[in-house]
Amino acid sequence: MTQAWSKLEQSAARLSSQHLRELIDTDQRFESLSFRHEGMLMDLSRQRIDPQVMSELLNLAQERQLPSAINALLQGEHVNNTEDRAALHSALRLPKSAQLQVDEQDVVNDVHKTLDRMEQFVNQIHQGQWRGYTGKPITDVVNIGVGGSDLGPLMVCEATNQFRPEASLNIGLHFVSSMDGSQLSNLLLELDSETTLFVLSSKSFGTIDTLANAATAVDWLQERSGLNRELLIKQHFIGVTAAPAKAVAWGLSEETLLEFWEWTGGRYSLWSAIGLPIAISIGMQGFRDLLAGAHSMDKHFEEAEFAHNLPVLLALMGIWNINFQDIHAHAILPYDGRLAHLPAYLEQLEMESNGKSVGVDGSSIAQRTCPILWGEIGPNAQHAFYQLLHQGTERVMCDFIVPARRYVDRESSLQDQHQLALANCLAQARVLALGDAALNDGIERPTWQRYFGNQPSTVLLLDELTPYNLGSLIALYEHKVYVQAVIWGINPFDQWGVELGKKVANDLITALNESADHEYDPATEGLLNEIQNVRGNGQ
Amino acid sequence: MKISVWGHELSAWIARAQLAAYGNDIYHVVADNEPIESHLRSEPGLLTSIQAAEFSQRLIIDPHKALESDVHWIAMESSDFEEAKTLTERLAESDQPLLVINQSNFGVGASDELQSMLNESKGQYVIYFPDVLQAGQAMQQFANPQALLIGSEHEAATELMLSLLRPFHLGQRAIQRMTRREAEFVKYAITGILALRLGYINEMAGLCDQLGIDIDAIRRGMTTDVRIGSHYLQPGSGFGGQQFTQYLEGLSTLLSKQKGSVFVDTLLQQNEVNKEWPFRTLWQHYQCDLSEKTFAIWGVAFKPGVADVETSPALRVIDALLAQGAKLQIHDPEALQTLAARYPGNQQIQLMTHNYDACQGANGLLVLTAWPEYASPDFNRIASLLENPLIIDGRNLYDPNRVQSAGITYYCMGRSCLTNS
Repeated sequence: MTQAWSKLEQSAARLSSQHLRELIDTDQRFESLSFRHEGMLMDLSRQRIDPQVMSELLNLAQERQLPSAINALLQGEHVNNTEDRAALHSALRLPKSAQLQVDEQDVVNDVHKTLDRMEQFVNQIHQGQWRGYTGKPITDVVNIGVGGSDLGPLMVCEATNQFRPEASLNIGLHFVSSMDGSQLSNLLLELDSETTLFVLSSKSFGTIDTLANAATAVDWLQERSGLNRELLIKQHFIGVTAAPAKAVAWGLSEETLLEFWEWTGGRYSLWSAIGLPIAISIGMQGFRDLLAGAHSMDKHFEEAEFAHNLPVLLALMGIWNINFQDIHAHAILPYDGRLAHLPAYLEQLEMESNGKSVGVDGSSIAQRTCPILWGEIGPNAQHAFYQLLHQGTERVMCDFIVPARRYVDRESSLQDQHQLALANCLAQARVLALGDAALNDGIERPTWQRYFGNQPSTVLLLDELTPYNLGSLIALYEHKVYVQAVIWGINPFDQWGVELGKKVANDLITALNESADHEYDPATEGLLNEIQNVRGNGQ
Repeated sequence: MKISVWGHELSAWIARAQLAAYGNDIYHVVADNEPIESHLRSEPGLLTSIQAAEFSQRLIIDPHKALESDVHWIAMESSDFEEAKTLTERLAESDQPLLVINQSNFGVGASDELQSMLNESKGQYVIYFPDVLQAGQAMQQFANPQALLIGSEHEAATELMLSLLRPFHLGQRAIQRMTRREAEFVKYAITGILALRLGYINEMAGLCDQLGIDIDAIRRGMTTDVRIGSHYLQPGSGFGGQQFTQYLEGLSTLLSKQKGSVFVDTLLQQNEVNKEWPFRTLWQHYQCDLSEKTFAIWGVAFKPGVADVETSPALRVIDALLAQGAKLQIHDPEALQTLAARYPGNQQIQLMTHNYDACQGANGLLVLTAWPEYASPDFNRIASLLENPLIIDGRNLYDPNRVQSAGITYYCMGRSCLTNS
């Protein structure tokens, strides 16, 4: 154990008997533990820490050489060691005036060239000049993608829906990801093949889920139009990929292909051409605002002292809770229905990045890493799993995310509704921290009505939810994940854990199609036999 | 009589020209050369009448005297209601009797609002006189009205109005008296039913294409029923015209606000789809690739006889073709100048003085306005000029057999049973 680590263990023991309500009730608690970057305030005053813990955590960051690790990330060093490449999502939001040369690629120039092409596509769609096979303007855009090619664009489109410009209001946006065709089959019943454009998003262009949905879409177009595949793909598909050769082999034309690069991780890719649905929804200006908000967080991450650095501090709170407070569940609780998909997005971002047990040097990791993340719109979750947060046996850390201002130009009843959500957000954070003491009425209650409190939480208060602030918020979490990975000594940018299942599934497709003689474990064999029996009886 | 005429609309200029021609002194504040500079210059008879009125000093620009007349004729654009109110406020300062004739599309109730600014007890009245003039025939229609619709709540005002218009109706025309609000609404109702007929016949044409029958036979059959008549039943790739569209949009807004009805809105939306029919036909003919191709266009005015391209169906087609990277060689007898102003410096557009020149080397000809001079062209000449012998006729001008016998592939609306395509 390192020196900083040991000190934190001692501090944990020192504070173990202190209730969070006692820690909160100290001088200048909020002032010293709330941090602002532009339109976002991060309140850490409900974490189980004191000034000494904070300073020890900052020492830990220095000890793990975080400054040079941040520099390595932003400068395009090969921080993804198992795949020997950079992780340059931050480069996707650099302004045109910036310069970054990585592995002989003029990154900024390439990024902006793609942005300009996206703009052409978006304008053409918004002006009603992207035409389907009969010459009618496109009215519906269906994004086909899974994982990072789905969750990011979907989450941002939902969150920024109110910022759609006039020209995009008549364009219906749809997202299709499920391998079994559940979403697509319903959608194809409603859509008009003459006016539907598919955005086919796949980094590798080998994702079976996506290609299966794409094949169904092509069949549908062919059946409705009676035209050939090549012509239909040219007018009705835009491809977004880092493997253009494969996309062309599939049938896409280079004219309708948007490229991104190997150094963009799937779950970090909404800033690239993968964000095309976002740009179609809120226009290029909206998309550029999103990028600008993220870039501003990148600069803050790079330049701010760690004692005021939001991503670093958010990461350190996680380290403290996971490794020194023994908390292994993390709830994401937005108090704003527009952020409904944020929990799912962060589940992927955090768990696919840091759900690792092997260090960058290949050795096993001694301490615990990424916790289980889950979440739900806060007010809805209050009627679902908050019971466990308040009276269960699991310790859970929570992130509350809420805008201060909403519905400024709308009906007063809607403003009241936001007020209600805000009040609930503040109330829940308060009760989780203080327990019974939140009421302060001195009444004795039976055990089943008692609240222990002592559950730590972070509040992220946005001035308002805009594309810019959302960009900052997402970048905050991205960098938080990186900081934690650096401290744990793992690589957050690979995902080898998802490969084996794909391979075995390919193998099982054959077994399902033909009752060939394969040897599996008894459980799999048993189920295969059952399935064959049921299908056989159905015929 | 001294009459002041306010506004820039076609109806304002027609009123100036015709009222002056019958001996009235017309005061106004608009520059003389406005009609020459605008699309109004092609309105038959207008420019010469204006010149004659100026020459005989019965059309006078005088901002002070214009405010002193007893009769004020207001034919402003629909967006100028505030200007009309400011004017009426100024007029209300007078103690004398006044007649204000409103002929603008300010919406239902606007004339009542103007009346409320005047003093009825002093004999200051507003009349609504719906603008039923059609561009291209406006001089003649003003001079020889079939009937007069007058929205007035005061008999004295109505009588003054009728005496003012006496040279035109000679006491021999039907006169319909109604309230100002009713007269304002009549104009919307007329426009609505005309648009409905056009929308209806286009829907029928589309159906005829599917059923393999000739829309022209159907149309002729329909018109034998006297209840239907023959007007506004010619299929075509959409209707346009600034004024027509404004009244329709006004009616659509009234219907949706007052009744939650999308009846006319649906019609308007379908019209936008119809406007692009020539483009879609071309697009399908060339299998979704028009880039680097050149097309001839005959006619961009929203209808024959005018130089106006505002809301013309041709614009939708031109925009769509430009967006696909096509080059265009465009002819129109009157509207090229107003068209050029919409696409300044556009390298993809070439304006042609002669209609056959537009066909030179083109991959097809699109006929978008039913100008008389396009009605009977030399199809053999067209076929020899075109790179690909193809005509897309958005106005159903031609006999399919004649076109096709010149070796030209021909597309028109609702007659696919007669064309090879």
